[in-house]
Amino acid sequence: MKFEDSSQNLRMRLWFVQSAVLVMLALLGVRLYYLQLVRGKHYAEIAQDQRIRKLPIVAPRGVIFDRDGHPLVDSRPIYNVILSREDLRGQNLSSLVNPFADALGLDADILRERFDQIGSQPAFESVLVKQDATPGDIAWVEAHELEFPELRVEQQPQRRYPPNGLLAHVLGYVGEVGAEQLKQQTYKDKNLKPGDVIGQSGLEQAYDDYLRGRDGYRKVIVDSRGRIQDEIETVLPQPGHDLITTIDLDLQMAAEQQLRDSSTKRGVIVAVNPNNGELLALASAPTFDPNLFSQRIGTKEGRAEYMALLNHPDKPLINRAIQSRYPPGSTWKIPMAIAGLQQGAITLEHSNLACGGGIWVGTKFTRCMGSHGSPDVGTAIVHSCDGYFYRLGLKMKLEGISAMTEEFDLNKRTGIDLPNEVASRTPVEFKTILDRRNQEWKDIDTVFASFGQVYEEMTPVSMLRTVAGIGIGGKLYIPHLLREVKPVGAANEAEFRAGRGFQSIDASRPNPKIVPIPEDIHHAVVEGMWGVVNKGGTGRAIVMAGFDIAGKTGTAQVVGLGKDIGKNKDHSWFVSYAPAYKPEIAMIALIENSGFGGHHAAPAVRRVYDVYYRKTRKEEPPGALPVAKRTSEARPTVD
Amino acid sequence: MVARIPKKGLRDFDWLLALLAIGIVCFGTVQIRHAQPTEAYWVKQLIGLGIAVVAMLLVAFSDYRKLINIAPAFYVFGLLLLVLVLIPGIGLKINGQRAWIRVPGIGQFQPSEFVKVTTAMMLARYFGQRRLGALSLKDVAVGALILALPIALILLEPDVGSVLTYLPILITVLFLSAIKLRYVVAAVVLSVVFLPLAYWVGVKTNFVKNYQQERINVILDPEKADRRGFGYNTWQSILTVGEGGLWGADRTSGHSQSSLKFLPEPHTDFIFAVTAGNAGFIGCILTLFAYALLLSRLIVGAKRAPDRMGMLVIMAIVGGLTCQIFINIGMELGLLPVIGVPLPLMSAGLASLIATFIAIGFAMSVQLRRFVN
Repeated sequence: MKFEDSSQNLRMRLWFVQSAVLVMLALLGVRLYYLQLVRGKHYAEIAQDQRIRKLPIVAPRGVIFDRDGHPLVDSRPIYNVILSREDLRGQNLSSLVNPFADALGLDADILRERFDQIGSQPAFESVLVKQDATPGDIAWVEAHELEFPELRVEQQPQRRYPPNGLLAHVLGYVGEVGAEQLKQQTYKDKNLKPGDVIGQSGLEQAYDDYLRGRDGYRKVIVDSRGRIQDEIETVLPQPGHDLITTIDLDLQMAAEQQLRDSSTKRGVIVAVNPNNGELLALASAPTFDPNLFSQRIGTKEGRAEYMALLNHPDKPLINRAIQSRYPPGSTWKIPMAIAGLQQGAITLEHSNLACGGGIWVGTKFTRCMGSHGSPDVGTAIVHSCDGYFYRLGLKMKLEGISAMTEEFDLNKRTGIDLPNEVASRTPVEFKTILDRRNQEWKDIDTVFASFGQVYEEMTPVSMLRTVAGIGIGGKLYIPHLLREVKPVGAANEAEFRAGRGFQSIDASRPNPKIVPIPEDIHHAVVEGMWGVVNKGGTGRAIVMAGFDIAGKTGTAQVVGLGKDIGKNKDHSWFVSYAPAYKPEIAMIALIENSGFGGHHAAPAVRRVYDVYYRKTRKEEPPGALPVAKRTSEARPTVD
Repeated sequence: MVARIPKKGLRDFDWLLALLAIGIVCFGTVQIRHAQPTEAYWVKQLIGLGIAVVAMLLVAFSDYRKLINIAPAFYVFGLLLLVLVLIPGIGLKINGQRAWIRVPGIGQFQPSEFVKVTTAMMLARYFGQRRLGALSLKDVAVGALILALPIALILLEPDVGSVLTYLPILITVLFLSAIKLRYVVAAVVLSVVFLPLAYWVGVKTNFVKNYQQERINVILDPEKADRRGFGYNTWQSILTVGEGGLWGADRTSGHSQSSLKFLPEPHTDFIFAVTAGNAGFIGCILTLFAYALLLSRLIVGAKRAPDRMGMLVIMAIVGGLTCQIFINIGMELGLLPVIGVPLPLMSAGLASLIATFIAIGFAMSVQLRRFVN
């Protein structure tokens, strides 16, 4: 120390300051040791993660074609405004609702609901803010990049369905996977994440795994604002398989036209190739626009439209062919006749039973609509004699009727490749209801069970399967809509994925199911059905020279006799195949609450047969029925 | 004043000190270039280094006693600068702080960095008088007043960070000016007890704002704090440092925390994090070692000082630099809340650079005159 150090121990104090300096620097060194060497790997991982983003590339969904190669559904590219979770910066989603709603013209309540639903899920990567953004929306997002770095515009495919609800119930629709669905195992197995678009109905749902393909991704490096700086890796999406359906667009359009032209505009027409189960047309009316679900459901108007569909008294969302049950009326007599003969309740030699204008059981008289004397089985079918079948039912007993429903699979689903098919209800099922109420199954109940008005409720498709199977001599094919899942890529490529044809979901179920119908019995019943149309029977109005239709009318009571007017009118049935002795096509029609089967369902079926005839025979069908009006002449295009 | 440069002056010139300071600046410039490769900050820093070295030599070969004798003039001039900076039009407002004076041609500079030097001179002048016995209360009060004036002006900017680097200057000077040890002990005990208590009361009464609490929380537990909000800067700095590992982060992708803008202010307040990311633990420890050497060298100079004034001015500089280094790096390592204080010799910024070199020049001047009386 150069200067006089009279005041206190300066040397000590300097030494103390020097120590303090070194201790402070050493402290920093220790901290560095902890951060860089002890925790370094951990922080390096986090630092890497925050700059790397996996941006999904949505796989193009497969196109759905009809059997002749007409595209029915495809996708078009649209721009969506997406909110990416990574770039949220801990911001509260709900604080963004109002600015986004104002700027992008969205409904704030719907947006808030979306944010609540998807934003609360732990796995969410992004939320769709606006679908099908306009150039104005995109410009707004780009202009507000600094303010809302979490917003991104992405190109994504949007599903487009044919206009006028054409094939709506068959095709179904796509929609975002729901929060509830994601909790179910079946959806968990599909490796879905919130916001993914999947088939939610119809073929879109049934063959979703094929149609969806596998999404690809782009791995990119982003800066702190989420702007892409560099691309590390791109995995291209694997496109979905294209689907070829069994639908014949010409028949389908004709069938839908017939339902639209019908008196109540409610009903079903289904056409099938009885020789393999391929469904050529499956129409259910009223219908709906599936584009609602793929395009408009996120808007206020779309929601209102959806609510209106849900609450509509005619229930347009229901596929009546597979999800509605109706008393089959006299169409029930076809399986009854076959089973009666098979079981020996009647024989071909002695098939005559009295009509009697009806039947007395105990103190109750159940009447027949006519007076048919003592017809044989063929005549009873031609004139739809109720009295005959009352007595046949009593001979078969409930056991015989129940054996019949078992034989023709009428007590189970047909196995059609559409979701949510319901099974028909058979007399046995009704008996269990009586049993539960401690009510006895009496002879009168057996009478009721034998003519298709009280104790059975059939889905149109199950009734068609039965009659079509009978038409070809006892082979019940599973009705289906898939002709072929097309392969993706060429066979020698690594990315190749094979296609496949239709397979029954339940592999243990034989397809076709063989029902041993002796040839003579088959012949006798077919003759009766042929007579319905061609021998002055209940379907005589649709007789078609050179193309023999075999069929059976049905008139299913909705309420008791005498009250069948207005909206309580009977359901009108007609089930048929043609040509009668070498069936190529089988068809069923059900027009709800329209009245007598021969007057409504049968002409509708005939007009579809006309289209079929024109298409396969390349000539004008003999005695073609006039078609009321054409609302859509041109085949709809989806592209 | 630079009149006499004796031959032995050159011999006595502290080459090691000068080389250490210039070396750290050059290393820092490399890091600035890493942090902002697209900007010209590193060029400016090199220009600043040139100016700073000239300023340092000017001061070093001046007679520090004469300089300190006219310290009141410098001090008043410094206060004037601090008043000027508050005038809109002259003072530049950045991030809500009016702390910069716009200088045509050069850009902007921060007067509070210079005033640190003038304040240290003023304190050295007052406490450097030969004295007997312990400091009186009056002495402490005068010292506090000398500090209070610039602090008050800086608080008007408002720049709390700068103020924090002023306090150690006074504390060091008081400590080395024979303040009674019991005061020192009392002050230490009081602050240890009072600071957490004050924070607790502040939180309870909402005097400490939410965002300020978040900045504390991220230090206490960075993994659980609001890492995207007010804890963002600290968290990103920790990540950048941690990613550095032993030898520096893998840069094969060509992207870093700073180039992707995750790390804020990478060339100024967070330059050490950038260094840690690039040079790893090895580079950081070497940097800290260089600082330790530089500060030790200054303290050695203080011990050899010919008079109390010289010793005090060097130690004031040591106290100021050490605390500023500790606050800045501590903040970048998540030990202290985010305070906008540059890292001496490394952060980009002319004022800080030149002021630090002038301070080192003072220390050199004291040494050059250690045999002269």
